[in-house]
Amino acid sequence: MIAARDPDNELTQAYLPDFCAAGTLFIIVLVAELIAIALTLASYGPAQQFLIELSKTSFFILWIALLGTALMCQLKGYLESAGQTRAFVLSFAVLEIMCLVVAEGAWQLTRIYGESLIIDDTHATFILRTFAISSIVIALAMRYLYISSEWRRSIVLEAQARISALQALIRPHFLFNSMNTIASLTRSDPALAEEAVEDLSDLLRANLGGSSNKSPLKQELETAAIYQRIEKLRLGDRLAVRWDIGELPMRARIPSLTIQPLLENAIYHGIELLPDGGEVVVTGSRDGDHLQIAISNPVAVGEKRATGGNKMAMSNIKQRFELAYGNKATVTIDDGGDLFTVTLRFPLDEGAA
Amino acid sequence: MKVLVVDDEQPARERLKQLLDDETAYEFIGEAANGGDAVRLSAELRPDIVLLDIRMPGLDGIETARHLNSMDEPPAVVFTTAYDEYAIDAFDARAVGYVLKPVRRARLTAALEQASRLAPSTLTSVASAAKMTAVRKHVCARAHGELRLIPVAEIACFRAEQKYITVDHLNGEDLIDESLKALAEEFSSDFVRIHRSVLVAVRCIARIEKTEDGKSRIVLRDNSQVDDKELIISRRHLAEVRRRLKGV
Repeated sequence: MIAARDPDNELTQAYLPDFCAAGTLFIIVLVAELIAIALTLASYGPAQQFLIELSKTSFFILWIALLGTALMCQLKGYLESAGQTRAFVLSFAVLEIMCLVVAEGAWQLTRIYGESLIIDDTHATFILRTFAISSIVIALAMRYLYISSEWRRSIVLEAQARISALQALIRPHFLFNSMNTIASLTRSDPALAEEAVEDLSDLLRANLGGSSNKSPLKQELETAAIYQRIEKLRLGDRLAVRWDIGELPMRARIPSLTIQPLLENAIYHGIELLPDGGEVVVTGSRDGDHLQIAISNPVAVGEKRATGGNKMAMSNIKQRFELAYGNKATVTIDDGGDLFTVTLRFPLDEGAA
Repeated sequence: MKVLVVDDEQPARERLKQLLDDETAYEFIGEAANGGDAVRLSAELRPDIVLLDIRMPGLDGIETARHLNSMDEPPAVVFTTAYDEYAIDAFDARAVGYVLKPVRRARLTAALEQASRLAPSTLTSVASAAKMTAVRKHVCARAHGELRLIPVAEIACFRAEQKYITVDHLNGEDLIDESLKALAEEFSSDFVRIHRSVLVAVRCIARIEKTEDGKSRIVLRDNSQVDDKELIISRRHLAEVRRRLKGV
């Protein structure tokens, strides 16, 4: 299994670009220059003075941009370990203070050496203007960085979900045991063997399939049901699954590949370890504009819970729900007593299906 | 050669049965769906070879194989598995026979031909190399030619008496043929030695009390159903027993 990287750490890293890299510096200089041009264009004044104004503004802005980059580069190590919100607040504050210091410095230098009118403003308004403009630009830049990192994260997570579902499916145990079952059935019950091959193909197709982020609940449940049929062949009477989901609107869309991996966990870590088997219970309920799906399985006494693979699948599902619904969705795990229950609660999204 | 098939999955047992039926040198004599049944059936049917699945609920294949070794003439064991990375490495390293699922006829006959008895020490080292717990969940007692599995969780104490060890448990007492030293090591997390010849389950100890002649003895909890008059703590072990009781 691929070593799981710490997702939180990855997150901050993705959120802030590497300010020490030459490429980032180049882009920052470019953006600073564009802002300088925009600001100069926006300020009225005689046309012949445009270049002079532009160089003054550029000079000022480049100081800010380069110093800011240097500061962010210095703070890199700390920001990466600080967590998202703190990194955001801290970089904003540091950059803002730096802007004000540069503005104050520029004002003082002009006052001492500036015989000609370099800054055509009063002290207070100059500082205020710098403050306002820099706040807006920094906030916009951070928002941009945040959104693009979230977007990247969603792509990464979805790819991970697909890979881990595939890995689970090709979890050698499942695949080889299923093949063994089919090998046995080809003699004793060819019709059932045929069905099993079809089911296994459908399951592989569903997991390899398209890249849609969310799928209709109906489709998710069908995939889970196919999975259940294959496991049933193997485990026989030991496996029972109770689907208590009549209340759920089948058109509702949910992050794809979530129900089947959860059912799989319930079987692999729960039912299979019980000599007499047990019942996985899937309950769905609707409460206003929220849906709730809970999957629970009995646990063998004294068995170790939440092994590596299990944890990874769970954290992936958690993150994808968080990404899809923000804080409107919750994924809770209850492993008290002899039942292990995962509960998904998320807003109803009937989509434009 | 008589072969017993043990697997918790019916189709997997069916597959082995089909393959064995095609072979003239081997005779399928029965099947078991779990380790406990496997031990009982082996004592009854006396197979020459047991085909044993590794991943089974309750008693796993490796522990089952260790119990099979308690028989007078233990059968040879061939493990079957779909995929157990660590176990397979351990088997390869110790020349333990195994077959991978889906089972191939050629591989099965080759493994059956080479099947040999496994020494208890081999199984212990396989268990730890395979990252499975080397601590058994049961001990195996022999009574009237029958093998009886006693859950370790129901055992109150082991007492060494002459050649055998008496196991006091919820349903009475049985004799097992093992060494107290090995038992003490294997179950060190749940049992404490109170005397050169006695191991007591820590969870069964109610308290320590003084006898009239100034010795210390263990008082067991009421529900452990064991006559406790013999559980004298030797002076050498007293400190350790106290320490373990505090730790609970």
